[in-house]
Amino acid sequence: MARITEQPKKSFLTGNETVAWACLAADAEIMFGYPITPQNEVMHYWTRLAPKYDRSFLQTEDELSAGFTTCGAVQAGKKAFTATAGPGNVLMQEPFGMAEAMRLPTVAVIQQRGGPSSGTVVYSQQEVTLTTFGGNGEGHRIVYSTATHQEIYDYTIKAFNTAWKYRFPVFVLGDGYQAKMREPLELYNPEDRGIEMVKPYPLIGLGGEIGVDREPSHLCNIYSLEEELYEVVMKVSAEYESISPEIEEYEEKNCEDADIIILTHGIVSRAADDAVKALRTQGIKAGYFRPITLRPYPAKQLREAIQKSGAKKLLIAESAYGQFERLTKQEIYGETIQVEHLYMPGVGIIDHDIITKVKSIL
Amino acid sequence: MAKLTIENTARVVEAYIGEYASGKSEMAINRALELNKQGRRVTLVDLDTVEPFYTLRPIKKILEEQGLNVISFSHEDAFGLGETGAMLNPRARWALRHEGDVILDIGYGVYGAATLNLVEGIDECPELKVLAVINQSRPMTNSHERTKEYILSLGRVDGLVANTHLGNETVTEVVLQGLNITKEVGEELNLPIVYMAVDEDLWEEMNQISVSVPVKYIKKYMPGAMW
Repeated sequence: MARITEQPKKSFLTGNETVAWACLAADAEIMFGYPITPQNEVMHYWTRLAPKYDRSFLQTEDELSAGFTTCGAVQAGKKAFTATAGPGNVLMQEPFGMAEAMRLPTVAVIQQRGGPSSGTVVYSQQEVTLTTFGGNGEGHRIVYSTATHQEIYDYTIKAFNTAWKYRFPVFVLGDGYQAKMREPLELYNPEDRGIEMVKPYPLIGLGGEIGVDREPSHLCNIYSLEEELYEVVMKVSAEYESISPEIEEYEEKNCEDADIIILTHGIVSRAADDAVKALRTQGIKAGYFRPITLRPYPAKQLREAIQKSGAKKLLIAESAYGQFERLTKQEIYGETIQVEHLYMPGVGIIDHDIITKVKSIL
Repeated sequence: MAKLTIENTARVVEAYIGEYASGKSEMAINRALELNKQGRRVTLVDLDTVEPFYTLRPIKKILEEQGLNVISFSHEDAFGLGETGAMLNPRARWALRHEGDVILDIGYGVYGAATLNLVEGIDECPELKVLAVINQSRPMTNSHERTKEYILSLGRVDGLVANTHLGNETVTEVVLQGLNITKEVGEELNLPIVYMAVDEDLWEEMNQISVSVPVKYIKKYMPGAMW
């Protein structure tokens, strides 16, 4: 295992570079990728680091191929990842669907950009629906939504372990701002933090006699009979639901006595955190809740926060036109709290935007 | 084509190169404003060929209001173009024809000094100083060996700017440790530290400490550029 730093050291990085260093620290062996803004520097930095640390990189002809080659590499027992954004994320949904069907431990970093369509490279949070439920399946995948560069580092490392432990495709959901922004963070070797990296293992070409030495390794994404598909999807769904409580993560502050809970994810949570602090100093009882995993969604914890606070209103703020709100509403169906929203698709949200909105609805 | 000759040897021409996110734009802006405050005519050139519509565009107007001539795509120029590939702003090509000082921000950092070839007359410009900006907190330049290897990859370099910081978490120890390593590398490569850049917020603490290189206190403009 390569040590990337002798001692934990604060460094000044962009989010994309942070991804490359985290993949290195997590012992990723190969990246497959196709250039797309705003994730390009993930590739740039990985290709600068790879030769020095004996890692590999393949630039494929498009994102479909980058996704499928990632699927192939993990079957061969290689810790592999890809990174993309926007229309690249759209193309990769087919391979990601295959990863869901075949239970492949792929890791993909998504740096969200604006949409719809191809040429908009700027920041947004408009790839929530696509990243959580974009495949032609049931969304059997794990999505971490990061807010800081430290989290990008921590959760990218974690993504590999979650993928190889549970064998579901894992996503780290960033955005154009997180990709390009620079801020300090601590780079560390996972083992120095007591983080044991799950060792990759081949899923095909296994030794021994099937039925005698081992169970058959069924890696299948084609089911010709309806009943067969039904059986598989029901089995995988049950398994996904059973492991979800172990995977769900969230952050909650000041919800105990809140009159209004501000619900955000990703980078917008930083604005919500500041807004809650400012509102509290002005005597407004605001609370903060942020799902870190968007799939599986920490719905139980959000319901509990709503109930214990007795809050009358839930303000959902996002740099999209309701994608996060839709996801949340389906997860907390039945709660009677009034849901308000601040949609700013493609535009960054700062504390002032949230404070103004809160004051207008209280 | 008529050969460009520059009579006014007093003019300042500086090109800021270095690692992506090392502080090139911040150094270039602060240097341009510093010269401008001395009553000099200054042209600041955004020479980012990789992301030409992003670097200085969001703060172009703010800089122009302070008296700089800024060669960069404006919001109106960039509208609808997005990431339309590598593009050279025609005004950047002829930047040296402007009267007065010219400060070139060689953005993105992938080609080092090679990008300067795009500027007409650059080889005949006796005042040109190519300055490499070094932040020891950047992982690719965070040790003596890595910094040396990096500087040697840049092509022409006439001097170094020591710009070690950790954004909002910068403390004087970080700045001084970075300076020491940058200086050692500079001595080895026979490159002077032209100046050390320090966030103006650290003025009070830094002012107590004597260092062997010129210190410039800088104001941060790039957080306003967002991208």
